[in-house]
Amino acid sequence: MFGTTKLRYFIAAAGAALTFSGTAAMAYPDGPVNYIIPFNAGGESDITARYQQPYFKELTGQDLIVQYLPGAGGAQAWSGLNNHNGDGMTIMGTNLPHIILQPMLQDPGYQTDDISNVYMFHFTPDALLVRKDSPFETVQDVIDAATQNPGSVIAGGTGTNSANHVANQVFMNETGAMTTYIPYSGTGATESGLLGGEVDVLWGYTTVAARQADAVRMLAVATEERHPLFPDVPTFGELGINMVGGAYRGIAVPASTPEETKQELSDLIGQINADPEFRKRMEDDGYALIDVPYQEIEGFMDDRKAAYQAVSEQLQSQN
Amino acid sequence: MADPISILMTALSPINIGLALLGVLAGTVIGALPGLSATMAIAVLVPFTFVMDPASGLIMLGAIYTGAIYGGAFAAILVNTPGTPSAIATTFDGFPMAKRGDGDLAVTLATIASVVGGLVGAILLMTLSPKLATLALAFQSTEYFWLAILGLTLIATLSQGNVVKGMIGGMFGLFLSMIGVAVIGGDVRFTGGMPSMLGGIDIVAALIGLYCIPVLINMVASAGQHLEPAPARGFRFFEALGIALRDWVNLLRSSVIGTLVGILPGAGGSIASLISYAEARRSSPNAENFGKGEPSGLLATESANNATVGGGFIPTLVLGIPGTPPDAVIMGALMVQGIRTGPALFQSGDGTVYIFMLGLLVATLLMLPTGLIVGRYAFRFIANVPKAMLVPLIAFMTIVGSFAIHANPHDVLVMVVMGLVGWVAARGGYGASPIVLGLVLGQIAEQGFMRAWMIGGARGDFMGQLLLNRPISWGIVALITVTLCLPLLRRKRSEALGTGGQAQVARARADMPGLTGAVLFLFLGLWILLQAQTLSTMAAAFPLAVGAAMVLLSALQMLRSWRGGGEAGLEGANDDATGRGLVLAVTMLGWALIFPHLGMFTTSLLASAILTMTGQFGRPGPRRLLAYGVGILLMVSAFYLLMVRVLNIPMPVGILP
Repeated sequence: MFGTTKLRYFIAAAGAALTFSGTAAMAYPDGPVNYIIPFNAGGESDITARYQQPYFKELTGQDLIVQYLPGAGGAQAWSGLNNHNGDGMTIMGTNLPHIILQPMLQDPGYQTDDISNVYMFHFTPDALLVRKDSPFETVQDVIDAATQNPGSVIAGGTGTNSANHVANQVFMNETGAMTTYIPYSGTGATESGLLGGEVDVLWGYTTVAARQADAVRMLAVATEERHPLFPDVPTFGELGINMVGGAYRGIAVPASTPEETKQELSDLIGQINADPEFRKRMEDDGYALIDVPYQEIEGFMDDRKAAYQAVSEQLQSQN
Repeated sequence: MADPISILMTALSPINIGLALLGVLAGTVIGALPGLSATMAIAVLVPFTFVMDPASGLIMLGAIYTGAIYGGAFAAILVNTPGTPSAIATTFDGFPMAKRGDGDLAVTLATIASVVGGLVGAILLMTLSPKLATLALAFQSTEYFWLAILGLTLIATLSQGNVVKGMIGGMFGLFLSMIGVAVIGGDVRFTGGMPSMLGGIDIVAALIGLYCIPVLINMVASAGQHLEPAPARGFRFFEALGIALRDWVNLLRSSVIGTLVGILPGAGGSIASLISYAEARRSSPNAENFGKGEPSGLLATESANNATVGGGFIPTLVLGIPGTPPDAVIMGALMVQGIRTGPALFQSGDGTVYIFMLGLLVATLLMLPTGLIVGRYAFRFIANVPKAMLVPLIAFMTIVGSFAIHANPHDVLVMVVMGLVGWVAARGGYGASPIVLGLVLGQIAEQGFMRAWMIGGARGDFMGQLLLNRPISWGIVALITVTLCLPLLRRKRSEALGTGGQAQVARARADMPGLTGAVLFLFLGLWILLQAQTLSTMAAAFPLAVGAAMVLLSALQMLRSWRGGGEAGLEGANDDATGRGLVLAVTMLGWALIFPHLGMFTTSLLASAILTMTGQFGRPGPRRLLAYGVGILLMVSAFYLLMVRVLNIPMPVGILP
């Protein structure tokens, strides 16, 4: 009796193993997937990719290998995206507004439509930050100072023609205030600029506020509703300033990738995004999750393009 | 978890010590291969640490990091190629030592210095982190600008023969650093319309080319051994220890400089080692031996760059601002592990961070035995392998290494072209080191200055922002002044003593190579000025300054060269332009151009075979030929597998593998 039970278990286990390996071999992906991040390690693009990594492995049984290809604010990687094999084994992180603004303002070696996005999975909402001992208590304080004495409020941010630069421009457009925007290379440098007192206010993200905790104060956040991690911080909308946005992050594949694979990848990222543990982790760090699957990408991109068009023309006229 | 005993027990558990040893070993080997960086090694291994206990994973990452920074010294000493920017200054004295047969001593000295520097950094990290972190915030754009200028003053030191030529080289380096999209202004500059140049010139690729290609050309230009053959003398450990102990002030000062510079986010190991090198030279009684194989120079740079490891962790852990690129990867790994670095970390009472610090200390100590053993084999290998094998091996490493940086064939081409430019420039008396200094420090200088300018403008107090209200900048400017004036004072003194006469022996003959170079640089300077007209004010300010300086300096140098004032006699200027050198140059260029299409493996086999012939002097017997063939096949296969299988670097799809 004992022997047959054991045998039965064995058969069941073997059967299960067979079915499992059967499905695993058929579905995408059938090998390790290279996930190219167009920025240096340690930034938000990298960390969120790292968060996806274990869930990807859990769902597919395959490794998701994060690689870095920094340069020219991401343009180096994006301009080479379509040279990679379109077999789904190479995927690339994409960032908005970068992939829309860069081709609008100059020739970065690619066009926005060259990039086949399959999913947008989160964004880091723009946030206006000050040092904890700053005299600015509210957004109105900043507006007052920057209106009375145009250009005297120094606003830091990452890069030129970047998400932070756009945020600063939209803020000025909406409020009539006039700030001086100072570009830094990298989020780390902006944080030391704010903490060390070189800039008065910082265009950062909710993630920076989450990381810097008590060292900084967040005056407002550019989301539709308040962020779960910061229930006491108002949105710009509540203050009568029409500002919702930030740096959106998604995943793209080479143009030659089959439709089927694009869809499978989109489903996969959606599944990761739906995991409650993953969501909590992202939100605890200050990220705001969004779900723009492959079918809806085109509409989403058109909306964003329209939103950036006007600002882009303004930024260009400043040069 | 937080009591000291359990922290100690965890940090010193056999598994953690084992992981530290493994990490140091892997890091040393990866760091020794040019192009393979600490950042890359850590990024590749991060996923493996997720299955480990957080503390163990961290210890291993820290060990790889410190090992990789140390490993960079091997390539710098033995083949004059800084494997990482941290090891730039190590080539200055390390390679001359190896050349004269003291490679074993140099490697042992580098090991001792790295261990001391690493220990100082780790101990300061453990004891003074929160206090020292405030330094990271006291350094702002203004201070970074002056720090970069302090680094650039080294040009005066490194171009002993001809300061004007050195400065022209420095301007050329600054120009190279400006290629690509300007961080401030957002303009596309000097790319010649090529999208592939948007990302600028990768510093590591340029380093490999500028330092290594001239060495390769020299190797094939003469039949002699690459390094002076050395008898087996053991580690020369006690000899090295004696030198290090006698030079303890230098060692300690460099370690402290390394830690402090490491704390500054964005400064890093290259600046730390350059500044401590300059300081060591300034305060040394043997200042004139620096650059000719002076052990003190080696001790200074190697202790400083390993001290940046501990220093870099200070802002990473205390402020949540990564001190160096590898720190950024480790910080990401920490976040994924659920440990948030920054202000909350030290108050949370979590013991993990202390276990990690102790682990870093242990890993640093483990570098001593590991480094001595690896170093000994590396030295013996490089010193004894016949040139016919060494040339293709080193050439292959430069190609694979520069490709590995971003898995981008463009970087390989940049590496080769920079190498050839550097070699040609050296023949005109324009050395590689000033160019490298300009390239490495250019962005820090430009962005620091432009931000100070914009902020000063907005506050209506430019001079206050740039210098007057910044006490730390006063200190750096004072150091710059001292560094620049000291050689003048020394020269005055030696002239007064009547020993300066030799330098005054005028050469009546015109320095034609120098003159040609100056004319070319004059045109480049004019082109920069012309191009700058199309840029926005923010992006044009620095190019205008650099272009103008280049035009003036070149004009001055043309005059000097014409009158015979310039003396060719700098780095690598006395090589013969033989046919072999030309074959090597063409082969390297072809390699870089063809491999994305034909496949890395096949192209490398072909190119290595050509280079074996180029490096072979005299007619080899059939047995020897067979040995070479097998050697090349093994070498290319081993590296190819390392890249593809271990480091997961995607190879371009060619016709063949």
